[in-house]
Amino acid sequence: MAANTDRRRINAPSGGTSAPVFAKPVKAPGYLQSLRPNRTRGPNELRKTCKQTNSIRTVLQTGVVPSASGSAYLEVPTTTASSQSSLIPPTSSLKIAASIQGPKPLPRSAPFSPTLVLTTTVKFAPFATRYRRGYIRDSAERDLGVHLEAALRGVIIGERWPKSGLEVVITILEGDEDAWWGDDKAEGGAGSGWGLLNVLAGCITVASAAIMDASIDCVDMVAGGVAAITADGQKVLEPCPAEHQDLVAACAVGYLASRDEITELWLKGEVGADPDELIEGATHAAMGSVSVLREVLLESMGTKTKVANEVSKRKLEDVEMTG
Amino acid sequence: MAPPQLQHVNLSPAELSFLRSTLCQDPPIRFDHTKGPKDFRSMRAEYDVLPGANGSARIALEDGTEALVGVKAEVEKSQWRPSGDAQLRDADADANDKDAKAKGQNSWMEMSVEIPGFRDDDALPVFLASMLTESLLASGGLKDRLYINSRFHWKLYIDVGGSFLVHISMLTVQILLLSPPLSYPLALLSMTTHLALLTSRLPALKSDKDEDPLFDDDWDAAVFLYPKSKANASEDKPPVIVLAMAVGPNIIFDPCMEELAVADAVLAIACANATASSSRARIVSVRTIDPPSHLTPPGVPNSMNSATGGTVPASSAEALTQRELFANSGVWTPPRGGMKRGLISQVVKMVVEEGGVAEEVISALHAIELG
Repeated sequence: MAANTDRRRINAPSGGTSAPVFAKPVKAPGYLQSLRPNRTRGPNELRKTCKQTNSIRTVLQTGVVPSASGSAYLEVPTTTASSQSSLIPPTSSLKIAASIQGPKPLPRSAPFSPTLVLTTTVKFAPFATRYRRGYIRDSAERDLGVHLEAALRGVIIGERWPKSGLEVVITILEGDEDAWWGDDKAEGGAGSGWGLLNVLAGCITVASAAIMDASIDCVDMVAGGVAAITADGQKVLEPCPAEHQDLVAACAVGYLASRDEITELWLKGEVGADPDELIEGATHAAMGSVSVLREVLLESMGTKTKVANEVSKRKLEDVEMTG
Repeated sequence: MAPPQLQHVNLSPAELSFLRSTLCQDPPIRFDHTKGPKDFRSMRAEYDVLPGANGSARIALEDGTEALVGVKAEVEKSQWRPSGDAQLRDADADANDKDAKAKGQNSWMEMSVEIPGFRDDDALPVFLASMLTESLLASGGLKDRLYINSRFHWKLYIDVGGSFLVHISMLTVQILLLSPPLSYPLALLSMTTHLALLTSRLPALKSDKDEDPLFDDDWDAAVFLYPKSKANASEDKPPVIVLAMAVGPNIIFDPCMEELAVADAVLAIACANATASSSRARIVSVRTIDPPSHLTPPGVPNSMNSATGGTVPASSAEALTQRELFANSGVWTPPRGGMKRGLISQVVKMVVEEGGVAEEVISALHAIELG
């Protein structure tokens, strides 16, 4: 028996280990609840503009992956300052990277397509949430991919690239949690799914920026936004699920600001008979992303023309040299 | 590689353009001209078809698409979670039978959707399963009824299959679609799941509180998962999903494959029936669906086609400009952009209003069970 085991190295226990779970925390009963974060900004205040002691503004940057034809990185800062008494951050921030490959010709084996074939892949990094994600995409990630595809399909003018493919690859480096970590329901990854709506809105915005960077023909810029309703009937924009114990319904949209249209709508929960207000709230939140997207677009256009000018100037100089 | 699509409609740009213009008329002339914009396709439905399941149903459309749903429940040990307040927990245990509210967990229901020709991780089955799951879980009533005591709960498996099968398992709901879908199968699956859940029963519990659960072995004594009251207006029923598409100024419900190929936008709306607290149907989930019309080939106008006496544009840039100019001339161009907000609220209103589509579908499914 012992002969079969490897005795030259110190091996890990065969059955794996699990962290101890204590029946009772050492601290006083109310301690855990005292760590619960609360929403400090107003119900209509967006996450990105919120000024906390050490918080920063939303970061959206294009052209971060040189080998891709377009790429972008989005960071929405955490909403609460980290507490002094616990090492666990009370709320999470959102960090998403998108890269775009294509438009490129479809492989010979693929059937003819009269339009651009859009493939969206959304993947959480294994460390993106408190609950570890595997390396293979699970159903939530695939579902996000379908939502993102619906959001982008309406925007991209696909008929201009027959027989071509476009791959949008999104990696979520840090995602929003479904609930506060101290709540029972937050464990095991089978949460309410409110966090996914925030992630989807982020994915839409960042993918839109990456498409812009790849200079693909679109009818408009699509931007993501989220709104939710709490149990007492209050509408909150860009909710951070950890700050609300009692969300009853939430809605994420992909919004085309200049056309006033919605390409993607994902609404869930008990909204009653009239979801209009919630959808409107989500579009307001999306307007916040639109302004960021516009800034980024101008900035990247500026850099691009500058680079192009420099290149042409250098070429001109080259001509002079040889002539 | 391109992912598998729903069976593609092979319509030429000219046919698409014709279909669209008929659908845009007032009143619209549908692909099946005998139907109005709110009419559903006729179907045959039966329930309790699988003897080994807690509940099951089968619905067949006349075009041959059919769905089979089995609901199976298993007793499962609840995972005990440490909670800070031991006192609170004891109080909970005392009150647990009276108040099982908000004790249900989302993981107690597992849904699997099988569609022939698709792998279970393809986009379509994943999307269908998550839409069905989230509409069932939205109200919280179902999952709370799966609570037995602080140590045990039912797990429901729903298996959906088609030419279409649905499998509901732990409450396993399995949906099995038996034939490849000839139209977008969401509404069909949801109606079959609704019927299966409406008729599924759980064995009656004989034990008290926190004892190990012991059940009455008389199937006749079994209780319905969705309890039935005499006054049937206010009882809780599973939600149904209605598919609506917008084309031009018109809104059409339960579109068939060919109609979807010319849709401007498609919306799936899950709604639950009216309860005591609200007189109208309630929305529990709404999603946009990417219409297949985005994938249709654009038409080539005669003036750009040398075979019909036109001149082929010299450069691709010129071709693009000419194409844009022809956008509104009746030559087929795949729709662009999304849905106006006003249109969404109009669709939602048509679904939830009194005597609206949702009420009609739910009462029709209820009638199957009675009759």
